[in-house]
Amino acid sequence: MSNSGMLLRLSGSLREALGTRRRQPVDEWVAGGNGSEAEHLFLRATTLFRTGDGETAIRLLRQAIAIAPAFSDAIEAEGEALDMGGDPAAAAARYDEARRLRQVGRPGAPDRHFVLRQQGSHTAEIVAYTRVLKSLKKFALPHLARGNAYLADRQPELALADYDRALKLHPNSLDALALKGEALSALGQHAAAIEALDRVIAARPKDAEALNARGIAHMALGHVDQANGDWRQQLGLLAGRPAASAYVALRLADYAVALPHLEAMVRNDRRDPYWALYLGTALLRLERPLSDRETVDGDSWVSSLLALQAGKASESEVMARADTAARRAEALFQLGVAAHARDRSAARSYWQQVVATGLPTLVEYAAARNELARSAS
Amino acid sequence: MFSVIIYGRNDTHGYNLHKRAAISFNALAEVMSDPDDEILFVDYNTPDDHPTFPEAIHDTLTEKAKKVIRILRIRPEQHAHLKSKTHLVALEAQSRNVALRRSNPRNRWVLYTNTDMLLVSRTPGESLSDILGSVPDGFYQIPRFELPEMLWEAAFDRRDPAGNLEKLRDWSVRYHLNQVVHNFMPMKYDALGDFQAALREDMFAIHGFDESMLLGWHCDSNLAARLALYRGRVDTLIDKVFGYHCDHTRVAAANNKGRQTRMNDQDQYIWNVSTPYVPEQAENWGWPDVEIEEVRLDRETSYQRFTAGLDAALKPATVPYTSTSLEWFLYDDLTYDIDHTLPFVADQMLTYPRSTSVMIVGTRKEFVERFLTAWRAMGFTGPILVPNECEGLPSDLEGLERGTFEDLLPRAEMFIFEFGLATQSPDEPIRIGRQAGPLDTKRLKVVAKLFRQATSTEAETRPPGRRTPRRFVGVNVIYNRFWPLFTDYVGANINPFCSQVLAGLPRVDPSLRGKVLRFRGRRAI
Repeated sequence: MSNSGMLLRLSGSLREALGTRRRQPVDEWVAGGNGSEAEHLFLRATTLFRTGDGETAIRLLRQAIAIAPAFSDAIEAEGEALDMGGDPAAAAARYDEARRLRQVGRPGAPDRHFVLRQQGSHTAEIVAYTRVLKSLKKFALPHLARGNAYLADRQPELALADYDRALKLHPNSLDALALKGEALSALGQHAAAIEALDRVIAARPKDAEALNARGIAHMALGHVDQANGDWRQQLGLLAGRPAASAYVALRLADYAVALPHLEAMVRNDRRDPYWALYLGTALLRLERPLSDRETVDGDSWVSSLLALQAGKASESEVMARADTAARRAEALFQLGVAAHARDRSAARSYWQQVVATGLPTLVEYAAARNELARSAS
Repeated sequence: MFSVIIYGRNDTHGYNLHKRAAISFNALAEVMSDPDDEILFVDYNTPDDHPTFPEAIHDTLTEKAKKVIRILRIRPEQHAHLKSKTHLVALEAQSRNVALRRSNPRNRWVLYTNTDMLLVSRTPGESLSDILGSVPDGFYQIPRFELPEMLWEAAFDRRDPAGNLEKLRDWSVRYHLNQVVHNFMPMKYDALGDFQAALREDMFAIHGFDESMLLGWHCDSNLAARLALYRGRVDTLIDKVFGYHCDHTRVAAANNKGRQTRMNDQDQYIWNVSTPYVPEQAENWGWPDVEIEEVRLDRETSYQRFTAGLDAALKPATVPYTSTSLEWFLYDDLTYDIDHTLPFVADQMLTYPRSTSVMIVGTRKEFVERFLTAWRAMGFTGPILVPNECEGLPSDLEGLERGTFEDLLPRAEMFIFEFGLATQSPDEPIRIGRQAGPLDTKRLKVVAKLFRQATSTEAETRPPGRRTPRRFVGVNVIYNRFWPLFTDYVGANINPFCSQVLAGLPRVDPSLRGKVLRFRGRRAI
């Protein structure tokens, strides 16, 4: 539906944004995950494109992409410029490439806040909402949406600033407060995060995402019982939704509860190999035989972990492929699972390393903490 | 792969609705290639005595469209609890959510659009099913291109969707139709509600459209805001498909009063949206516990049901025509031809729910028997209720229940009052000056008394929870002495004598005469 009122309200800001951009290349905007140089080129290119200079825009976008090859927003913008320039075939290829790149990487855990389940970079959104904020400063949505884009792009300090602005305007916004809790948690300020989330949960005791976030913050501080209490409550609110339930149960290291959900997800979602991995984890920990599994792409990281579970890969091979802190934690956790049946002390040792080096948001971190707490009692 | 969700009602929403809707239904079906694809049309609040909108235009739809369209009919009674809260007669959020709840769970995508859109894939031959099957999870929109009214009205053939889409490819270049109108985030484009493709799973997660939006407009922007938050991004399919809108502003639609248009508050529903979820409606969005009738155009159509009913109840005529007369000296002759009348009575029934319970108050046993046969063969499952006060009518037929008028009154959802002569035999000539005998007069007095009582007390004797008035069908009430009686109490249209039937809702006549009539009816005076 057309919205002339909204358009009238915003057209001034568009003129202003385009007009001032010539004098001031960026708004109150901070470069994100694609790097300052690439993102500045993107900004300049999109502005030039709006003023009609498609050729220069394409050149600048290609420079940006050369610097940051996974910069999907720049690739899509190039597609748009090519399309309007009369080359729809080349444009379609760029659009498809941007879509492909946005799927690269592991999606966020399905039990977490929706912002933390988002994939890809969000430079275009940050730019777009910055433009909206030039004229609509007093409303919640643009602050929260930009804050979310920053949070999803792993810039929690910038996200926090936007959430704080939203809260200043709307002090009673529990949604903004919950997001602030997530941003604080991402910054490692777990006690402050718990304080914010306590207020959210007091007002909305059935807020499953807030309970999850508070559980993670508690676990990061070593409050195992409180974390588990939050997650048990979350589990009860999920009404059997398999993906989220499986992750919560895994955080609890409650493999019997996780098992049916994992079986459902292995059947329903063949795109995510982690379901097969976690199903194997649950089966091993329940001392049941691993079911027949479909092969996973041989080069993928998860295939290494599946091979480890099946006894077809060694610790050194897997650890050699663990190229990030998260992957090291995943590998160490699986090493603990594999070792548990024959050597509980070795398993504990692996899980202690997960807790020492892993991020509290990882499902393996919580599961390892629970495994350790259980074996100590 | 995807469920298209659209809504409307059998009315006149904007200029030449029938043509643009037919064009759109057929064009949407044309770009479907997956066996699970479907078009869910929510027919919202069409009056009960009208067919749904797609049924009304079914002859202009292609076989493919008829096959994929599922009509979900929301009755005025189901809308009644919202009536006082809105000036609109069709509610977008409720409609779209009712469809979402009942969409094919095998479909990955839900596409929200409207009944005046044509979607043209940029790669000829590529279906929308192919396109949606190839793109990753997300929330996708496309810009809307406008199509001047002259083009779609004059040049499109409703039943040639492929030809229409081909014409669009040509016109878009020749007449410079393709202009993208960008909009601020999270809307991304102007007129965004004409193509919003979301994962079915996402729509369930965010509790569908916000059903507190009862004043019209901005439902699409609200959805964009919430899905933009949920997904973090508003993606485009502009590289794969173009969307064209059949412009229809020659006549303003009901929700468009220019600057006086009442709207949902855009600050509340767009700029201050802070969460994708609508927790207040988490359990009841899309009316999960409400039974919604589903109508198909490719099976068990109204026509098929109508003919099945009449074929079961009637034998074909053996003469080229019969005759009757409306001369005034025949005013008191209440003979009528059941064979000829029954089709017009059945016609009054077909648009009502199959579970409807009908009370028949009448004189002729044959009428009740033949109507019951037709009723069952038309697929109705509700009972026929006949008051004990009506003597001489059958009581031992399957599907027919007898009881006192007082007991049956709150169970009836529709009424048939038949004013015939109990003594009329099947082979008797019609309207030749026959007078009512004592038995006829006695039975007619009962019918007239119950009629007055039923109409006068209709509001307070409705089935529990029912808010909307019940319909009264009068048989043999034109140009005879029961015509004034029937039209005193029922707001019926003027019908031709040949149909023998009048129908309508109880009249609420505020005049002194109306009050007296109602008083007499209540007291059975």
